[in-house]
Amino acid sequence: MPLIQMTDSLLRVRDLVVQFRLPEGDVTAVDNVSFDVAPGEVLGIVGESGSGKSQILFSLMGLLAGNGRVSGAAHFAGQDLLAMPPRALDQVRGVAMSMIFQDPMTSLSPYKRVGDQLAEGLIVHKGLSRREAGREAGRMLDRVRIPDAARRARSYPHEFSGGMRQRVMIAMALLVKPQLLLADEPTTALDVTIQAQIIDILAELAREMGTAIIFVTHDLGVVARLCDRVIVLYGGRIMEEGPAAPLFAAPAHPYAKGLLHATPRIAAPLSPRLETIAGTPRAGGAMLPGCPFASRCDQRIDICQTAQPPLKVIAPGRLSACHLTGNAA
Amino acid sequence: MLRFLTTRAGDGILTLAALVTLTFFVMRLAPGGPFSSNRKISPDILANIEATYHLDEPLLQQFLRYVWGVVRFDFGPSIRFRDYSVADILISGLPYSLTIGLWAVLVATVTGVTLGILGALKRNSIIDYSAGVIAVIGIAVPIFVLAPLMQVYFALTLRWLPVGGWGDSWRNLVLPIVALSLPNIAYISRLTRAAMIETLRENYIRTAMAKGIGGRRVVWNHALTGAVLPVVAYLGPATAAIITGSIVIETIFALPGIGRHFVDAALNRDYPLVMGITILYGGFLIVFNTLADILRGWLDPRVRNE
Repeated sequence: MPLIQMTDSLLRVRDLVVQFRLPEGDVTAVDNVSFDVAPGEVLGIVGESGSGKSQILFSLMGLLAGNGRVSGAAHFAGQDLLAMPPRALDQVRGVAMSMIFQDPMTSLSPYKRVGDQLAEGLIVHKGLSRREAGREAGRMLDRVRIPDAARRARSYPHEFSGGMRQRVMIAMALLVKPQLLLADEPTTALDVTIQAQIIDILAELAREMGTAIIFVTHDLGVVARLCDRVIVLYGGRIMEEGPAAPLFAAPAHPYAKGLLHATPRIAAPLSPRLETIAGTPRAGGAMLPGCPFASRCDQRIDICQTAQPPLKVIAPGRLSACHLTGNAA
Repeated sequence: MLRFLTTRAGDGILTLAALVTLTFFVMRLAPGGPFSSNRKISPDILANIEATYHLDEPLLQQFLRYVWGVVRFDFGPSIRFRDYSVADILISGLPYSLTIGLWAVLVATVTGVTLGILGALKRNSIIDYSAGVIAVIGIAVPIFVLAPLMQVYFALTLRWLPVGGWGDSWRNLVLPIVALSLPNIAYISRLTRAAMIETLRENYIRTAMAKGIGGRRVVWNHALTGAVLPVVAYLGPATAAIITGSIVIETIFALPGIGRHFVDAALNRDYPLVMGITILYGGFLIVFNTLADILRGWLDPRVRNE
């Protein structure tokens, strides 16, 4: 049971575990993660590469790689996404829930016109004619501010820049007016100057449509600007969770502190070098007892390597999984 | 499109010119000649015969004479088959090779692509393994072993089909077509399977799945294009090779196609016939490669602008 209960949550994830079967043995990518998303809420999931954040989204969409196994529950609009057969899931994904992927260069089919790729969902799910769906697609491309949208709908993906392709992906995901949007590092592959524009378009449209977003990223600046609530993930486990503003103002967990500390800031006084968290991210593989961050933590005490710290309420709406912060609450 | 075609036609003519030149001189470098046989011919008679075919002229002059003929669509007389011109021989044999060859290409493509896709979608299933076995047999067992076995079983034992020969019935065509398409079925199915497996791992397939349009639509509407592109590229040269006949198939099934001339003409040093065959095959290669490129451009917008 999570410690924060929502009465009207749109998505209710409980005890989510994602494992991959590899020749070397099973690897746990997501380890007992529970969280809720309220309608219209923007939830940020942050963490380093390999922390399991993208796999949470893939498991919700039924898009895990073939060797992936999932357990737990994810209730969305009264149905458990994790228990649904693919055919039933097809009535949810691309309809009430859609996803934007990390790499816009490879996430669109090179063989089909952009407009047709957008229109397909409307044709299949809403029974629109090709012409009506095409018109809707053109209108949506206009809303993500693609210049000359009606004509550009007839172009192929290779005729667009990376930023423009990600706008196309956003248009495709929002075209069906979903209740929940899963965004998997949508700006990571883009030029820094384009990132802000993409985020703004995404946030603006989602707010207009009342769409809730789970925003997975390792860009803390984006999270601070966009998200209502934040989950900090490490080694597949939730380290800290809470409303964005207080969490960023005063992170409780040593890992969250380190992560924020390692963010370069232009406004801050020049430090001689980039701050880092010592050590290397825990490689997937055999789960060790104790806190996954223990080996890199500078406040480590004996118990950290033997007992896994449970998530504990440290302030109203704030959770942390640390032996030290737990005592402070 | 028009510009593409004119460019390709220009390239094609240059390629053919190079092919004609090279073949002409390389062929003459080979020892022997059309009249070097065990039988002694008196020098006077030999000189007479060579004069008839202009073989006594300097090589360069012979070459120019041949080229001048080709430009006027005169491919010269066959030396071996007296009273027949090269054009006569090729035109009379081509319909047989074309009929069997085009059917074989069609059968190989449809069967190969279907087996490849089924194998990729149901990996490690019975279908996949059966397709794999067919592929191994088709590639590894030579056609001169398979074709006679087919004759023995389907023609002699079961008596379903004629052993060989060309008749009015479609039944004469079945065994040669199957024998000619088998290695290609094998190759195309492996090509399709590999391309389909690779395509299904693409990010845009994941995007399509995320749209909830259903697995079947994802395969047919999104993955198929990527899976058949390598097949299209293969079909260009393969079609040219298949429709110009096969000496093995034509010998085993006693068919009057042109495939046997590829070998016979060279062995007999029938210079004009070798040249004619070379030009025909080269022309088919150029035409079918161009067709394959057009088809590829139609399927893949990224190659269109190249």
